[in-house]
Amino acid sequence: MISIVLQQGINGIVIGSLYVLVALGLTLIYGVLVQINFAHADIVTLGAFAAYATTHFFGESYVVGIAAALIAGAALGWLVNATIFSPLRERGSELLPLIATIGVSIMLQNAMLALLGPIPYAFDTPYSNHVLRLGGLFLTVQNMLIIVVSSASIILLYGFMRFTFLGKALRAVAQDRETAGLLGINSNQLIMLTFVIASALAGMSGALLGPVLVLTPFAGTSVIVKAFAIVIIGGFGNIEGTIIAGLLVGFIESFTTQFLDPGLIDIVVFALLLLTLAVRPTGLIADKREENV
Amino acid sequence: MTVLLATTGLDISYGKVVACRDISIDVAEGEIVTLIGANGAGKSTTLRAIAGVIKPRTGVILFEGRDITALPSHERSRLGIALVPEGRHVFSNLTVRENLELGGFKYRKDHARVRTLVDAMFAMFTRLRERAGQKAGTLSGGEQQMLALGRAMMSEPRLLCLDEPSLGLAPLIVQDIFRTISSINAGGTSVLLVEQNARYALQIASRGYVLQTGSITASGRCDQLREDTRVQEAYLGRMST
Repeated sequence: MISIVLQQGINGIVIGSLYVLVALGLTLIYGVLVQINFAHADIVTLGAFAAYATTHFFGESYVVGIAAALIAGAALGWLVNATIFSPLRERGSELLPLIATIGVSIMLQNAMLALLGPIPYAFDTPYSNHVLRLGGLFLTVQNMLIIVVSSASIILLYGFMRFTFLGKALRAVAQDRETAGLLGINSNQLIMLTFVIASALAGMSGALLGPVLVLTPFAGTSVIVKAFAIVIIGGFGNIEGTIIAGLLVGFIESFTTQFLDPGLIDIVVFALLLLTLAVRPTGLIADKREENV
Repeated sequence: MTVLLATTGLDISYGKVVACRDISIDVAEGEIVTLIGANGAGKSTTLRAIAGVIKPRTGVILFEGRDITALPSHERSRLGIALVPEGRHVFSNLTVRENLELGGFKYRKDHARVRTLVDAMFAMFTRLRERAGQKAGTLSGGEQQMLALGRAMMSEPRLLCLDEPSLGLAPLIVQDIFRTISSINAGGTSVLLVEQNARYALQIASRGYVLQTGSITASGRCDQLREDTRVQEAYLGRMST
């Protein structure tokens, strides 16, 4: 019994840390811009396909595929912000960029559909079948890799926000863009940086999710709904809250699968979402809600 | 005296509402100049246009002889214009030290310089040193005003613009703030001061402009303005001289 709980605990961490990677980008962008980025899901999908192409077409290793997905995500984030979101923000409207993220999402999905077709791709990694035994527990190398890459990214991001000049400036822009400008901080550059970081994380999580997902041009959408739930449960714009909520949802998913029924996962997660909205609408760790980003 | 800042014919409006008409002011090197006037007279608006937060509809702003009218606020800050905004606007979730560091954003590649400047601010505002690791949101109003001042001074500005620095503060603390402003000015920084407390402002400044419903109605040396009966009646109260 204990080993089942531990095993599902590990599974929960694996799933949860993937969700955290996706949700962190959403929460970063929300924290800085107070804008929901619906195109985030498609950057996850793009990352999955970038990693697939790197490994299956070019025969590179999976780790190279993860790096390629990260770069592809960052590049797409830069491109979309530079060409679409940023010019729309210049006009001073709040609504236009939001709607544009929906437009970009539909465009990306259909571009990938035209290019790649609707039939799911089988994303194999050599690590999925390689099982490590730790006492009575099992962990595939793939899952190990997911935990290592996710925690490293989360720690790096946290350190960046906390200790570097740019990270502090980013938090300042999130809190009060006008005052940041008065101090010589170019908020447009930092908004761009936010998009690039968020999209790099999304691309990378796509590469890690690729082998688990049904890899079609709509793959990201299935993850993003839960990522939105995590962002809300964690408190919009709150990094620590997002990490905790992501792991929580991961545990809910693995334990619901074990003890209840996999079909109930979404019901439990969204019941928690509704409960959060009703009881603590500012997120689980509400005291720190002000700490946007 | 060399002119540091000069505006000519600034018209500023928010949408269709005209806030300022034909504002022409100048600040010389080393001077303290004040803008006084009632609420809504356009003092803050003028200051915000000088710092680049809002764009004037017409008019020109020259800083050290250079036309900066089209520059965004972050570039003006790099040229040496700092604004302490009304309400202080410290970053409440960042620590006191982090707030100060961000004031030195233009020196971000020179960590030693930022550290030296932070220490200099701690020497000027000893209360801030005690609270270095505390979130700025937990400071009292007076301490926040000190922090906002120190944060602005971190960029070693040529021109320090202050928007209502005494607002909402106890009289003793107000005196403290004004003493600090004087000593900052004595260190060579020119000051443009917007203040609802005209009595204090006219004491500390050498010249002043009186704004009324968006236009300059009087200007001159502060000792003259203090004698001006219209200024006395409107802003100083009859009893005072």
